[in-house]
Amino acid sequence: MILLNCMKKQVISIQPETSINEAAATFVRFHIGTLPVLDAQKKLVGILQIRDLVSLVLPDFVNMLQNIDYVLDFGAAEARKPDSELLAKPVSEIMQPPVYADQDCSLLRAAALIKKHNLQDLPVVDENNRLVGIASMVDIGTSYLAHWN
Amino acid sequence: MLNGIIALFIFLITLFLIFSEKMHRTVAGLLGAGLMLVAGKLLGFYDEVQAVQAIDLSTLGLLLGMMVLVVVLEPTGFFEYIAILAAKISKGRAMRLLILLGTVTTILSMFLDNVTTVILIAPVTILICELLGFNPSPFLIAEALLSDTGGIATLIGDPPNVLIAAAANLTFNDFLTHSLPIVVVAWFTALFLLRFLFKNEMQENPENIEGLLELDPKDVLKDPKNAKKVLVVLALAIILFFLEELLHITPAFIAMGAATITLIWVRPDLRESLARIEWSVLVFFISLFVMIGGLESTGILETLAGSVMQIASSNPMLFGVLLLWLVAGLSAFLDNIPITIAFIPVIQSLAASGVNVNAYWWALAFGAGLGGNGTIIGSTANIIVASLSERTRHPITVKIWNKRGLPVMLATCLVTTILFIIAFPYLSR
Repeated sequence: MILLNCMKKQVISIQPETSINEAAATFVRFHIGTLPVLDAQKKLVGILQIRDLVSLVLPDFVNMLQNIDYVLDFGAAEARKPDSELLAKPVSEIMQPPVYADQDCSLLRAAALIKKHNLQDLPVVDENNRLVGIASMVDIGTSYLAHWN
Repeated sequence: MLNGIIALFIFLITLFLIFSEKMHRTVAGLLGAGLMLVAGKLLGFYDEVQAVQAIDLSTLGLLLGMMVLVVVLEPTGFFEYIAILAAKISKGRAMRLLILLGTVTTILSMFLDNVTTVILIAPVTILICELLGFNPSPFLIAEALLSDTGGIATLIGDPPNVLIAAAANLTFNDFLTHSLPIVVVAWFTALFLLRFLFKNEMQENPENIEGLLELDPKDVLKDPKNAKKVLVVLALAIILFFLEELLHITPAFIAMGAATITLIWVRPDLRESLARIEWSVLVFFISLFVMIGGLESTGILETLAGSVMQIASSNPMLFGVLLLWLVAGLSAFLDNIPITIAFIPVIQSLAASGVNVNAYWWALAFGAGLGGNGTIIGSTANIIVASLSERTRHPITVKIWNKRGLPVMLATCLVTTILFIIAFPYLSR
């Protein structure tokens, strides 16, 4: 049970200089949650998650108040869009440092990495740190649970 | 004289360490207190017994008692409840919202620690502003400025008042009869000026009022039962503060009594509640008391007072005005607690040389309270709203504060000075 057997091998990726706006369009077009950021040598240099973009418009109070359950309607904040200046910035300014695993990483370790780093997908790299695949919690989990019965 | 100069040197070095923020003010205070004792024992002007006597337990008791009430009230959600209630009453109109939130923060901080009040009200202010599509900065600035101003009105509104009351034997009612009327005028001056300074921002219409209407204050009040209990005890304590002279009880006794009753009635997790008490502030006070005690015992302050006395006796009113502005100017940049502590012995020694210093205590209270409005670092409330705003899309910068806070400080100081001059005979009584 290793990551190589359950990962998706066709991976949509972006470059560090891709604009936030283009990245947002890529998320929408492919209906995905994580975009690995690769340099010119196809090496993994960062990851951009859909939540990184959503948090650009998330109201400030969300991070400040302990409890927001009583805020039933986000009012004016609901219609917020980042300004064009922010949208034109390269993703390198907001991407997270990459968390990744090797192809022969065990499924339980992969699941633990996803949980520990609060990821949606785990990029998989070869020995030269080049991206070779990506695995979501669903990919890993279903593969793992299949051995239970 | 040599003892006095050494003690004064230790005092000034400690003040420098506190103000330069080279180390935590409490640690600097402890260092100063320790050095004063060492010098006192070596040169024979101060010892441990005198140091313990110099610690004013009534100040500490009052502060600790009120801190306990606040830490028990804090987790009930009462502060947030009041802020949301005020916002709903404003119906999302910017100016009304600013006035209501400013008033609520002021009233709460007149009776409770204003740092806690601002820490708890500011995030809810940001929530309300974001729901309405407003920039929260004007509201945060108004809350800090108005609560700092309002805090001068009562004995328990601000730590400098507690110190001044203990040094000058002023009662809760003295503050209500001498400070409150002047502060009310200063407060309205501040509000009027804020209205003018934020004219453009206040013309904004809420983008969406649905979010505000959907908020139910009751959902925020996590523990209404305990909130009510603390408020009942607080109300009782305030009634007793009014009656302190009649019943011959001290504010410290009332506050500690209220704290004890609260702990018995509410039964909070004691470890958790005690952990939230700001012990460092109390230790800071103790260390400053010990240090000032040493300074006083050398007699140097009488010598200093002698030189100041000439101005004080030739034109007492002018001296009061100068004192007010000097303290305000210093408080704009420095923590007003050590400033108050530094000025108290000077006024006390003036009194010992036969000068009528009654009005000077009020000048000190007004200066220490109003001065803090002048800069972004002038008071803890200012620092809190500025640092919270840094986590929003509209950070409050030094430039913004200088344009809004500084005029408010100057205007309130000016109005207070005029009232101080008019009421000088009354304040001197």
